Amino acid sequence: MSVTPDPLGIEALSDSELPGPFPVGSYAARLRDQLRKFARVQLVGEVWNYRPARTKVYFELRDARGALPCSMWQNEFGALGVTLTDGVRVVVGGGCDYYPGSATASPSFSFAVTELRVAGEGDLLIQLERLRRRLSAEGLFELQKRLPRPLLPRTIGVVTGERGKARDDVLAGLRRRGWRGRLVWAFAPVQDRQAAPRIAAALRELAAVEEVEVIVVARGGGSLADLFAFCDEGLCRTVALLRVPVISSVGHHTDRTLIDDVAAVCCSTPTHAAEAAVPLDCVAARNALSNHTRRLSGHGKRAIVDRARSLAHLSRAPTEHVARHRTRLHQMLRELRASARRSGDRGHERASAHLLVLGRTVDRARGSEQARRRTELERLALALGAHDPERTLSRGYALVEDRAGDPVTSVASARRARDLRLRFRDGRVGARVSDTEEGP
Amino acid sequence: MSEEPTYETAVARIEEIIKRLDSGDAGLRETLDLVKEGRELVEYCAGELDAVSHGLEELRLDELVARLERGAQHEDV
Repeated sequence: MSVTPDPLGIEALSDSELPGPFPVGSYAARLRDQLRKFARVQLVGEVWNYRPARTKVYFELRDARGALPCSMWQNEFGALGVTLTDGVRVVVGGGCDYYPGSATASPSFSFAVTELRVAGEGDLLIQLERLRRRLSAEGLFELQKRLPRPLLPRTIGVVTGERGKARDDVLAGLRRRGWRGRLVWAFAPVQDRQAAPRIAAALRELAAVEEVEVIVVARGGGSLADLFAFCDEGLCRTVALLRVPVISSVGHHTDRTLIDDVAAVCCSTPTHAAEAAVPLDCVAARNALSNHTRRLSGHGKRAIVDRARSLAHLSRAPTEHVARHRTRLHQMLRELRASARRSGDRGHERASAHLLVLGRTVDRARGSEQARRRTELERLALALGAHDPERTLSRGYALVEDRAGDPVTSVASARRARDLRLRFRDGRVGARVSDTEEGP
Repeated sequence: MSEEPTYETAVARIEEIIKRLDSGDAGLRETLDLVKEGRELVEYCAGELDAVSHGLEELRLDELVARLERGAQHEDV
């Protein structure tokens, strides 16, 4: 390697036989040149940690024996029209490159990809899917979901990384619920495949504590490769057989780990996992209890007061009933009187009119009867006048009477009487019967 | 309720009691009994809420295990 020595003339290490010292920037530039001389080749592997940036996309190309950081210009990647997710198997073409960095920027090595083709689903994802199907077939996904979860646990266990952000998120979720009980932290590495036994051990120890009613397993975001510890078969079997419900919050929904399938509940964030561990909003629950208390007290009071009122009402009922009837009777009486008065007035008027008519009729009848009687009297007077003996005497006839004054109307009567009296118009004279002669 | 109540069973029973009382079908004796039972359950629930309201207590698992072991030793003595 031909590099210009430091122009500032800094002394070399006294006991070293190596050349130099050379300025690091010059060495980095030479390294970049040497790496770029590596043969351009095609590589095959699985994409992990795919990260699009402003000008480039970055990812790692992995297989079972090793890995290589890769980058590709954003415009060249965009022209391909492919979507990369973790685990996708790709064939890439390109060569080594090295960014030498500067006084203010870090150096980095990458395999500069200029060509890319998706080769199929990654082996790791295939293995993961096979394991998922096997665990599901054994019914291990259902065991945790059948466990009863307390609405208001007093003690919660949490398995997470000691310095991760997930810890703060769990606390934030519990604060949001207003929950301030006992929290037991079981810290464990949560990053790689070797973390799985430690996580499983922490879960078993937490579940062994009787007070722990629910366990949260939390880890912040990351690629599926980072979260592979949570796809470990041993860990998943441990979770499935725990007596305590486990709430998982590992990565994101797009990266569904196996522990998410096995757990009682799977949440997208540690905050949500904490809220799921305490389903009850303590503040709202306290308000609801106050409301329940008020309603119960109200029912208790009403049960007594309403019945007391009802009894008082019933005790007054007979008196009120009589009073009501009395009032009604008085009213009816008043109405009857008024009705009778109205009816009497009308009858009186009708009787008066009738009487008037009768009077007039009587008057009329009386007038005609008087005239009729007067006429009859006149006729009788005339008839009587015609039979008056005085009128006969006045015409020159004499009336024969006995001494008693009774009329003598036959020869026989005259012979018996002997002494007679003759009545004339102008007086009476005595007479004696001397002889008699019968016949006309 | 014959079994030891949990918060959820207690709340469910309180709601059941209030529903029965709201219906107006309960007689005097039943009403008073239900109100008494409801008040006891509310007190139980308030106690449960109080237990997780005094202040967050954070422990590491090993601390809790040590504390439990000390408690077990005292009981043995």
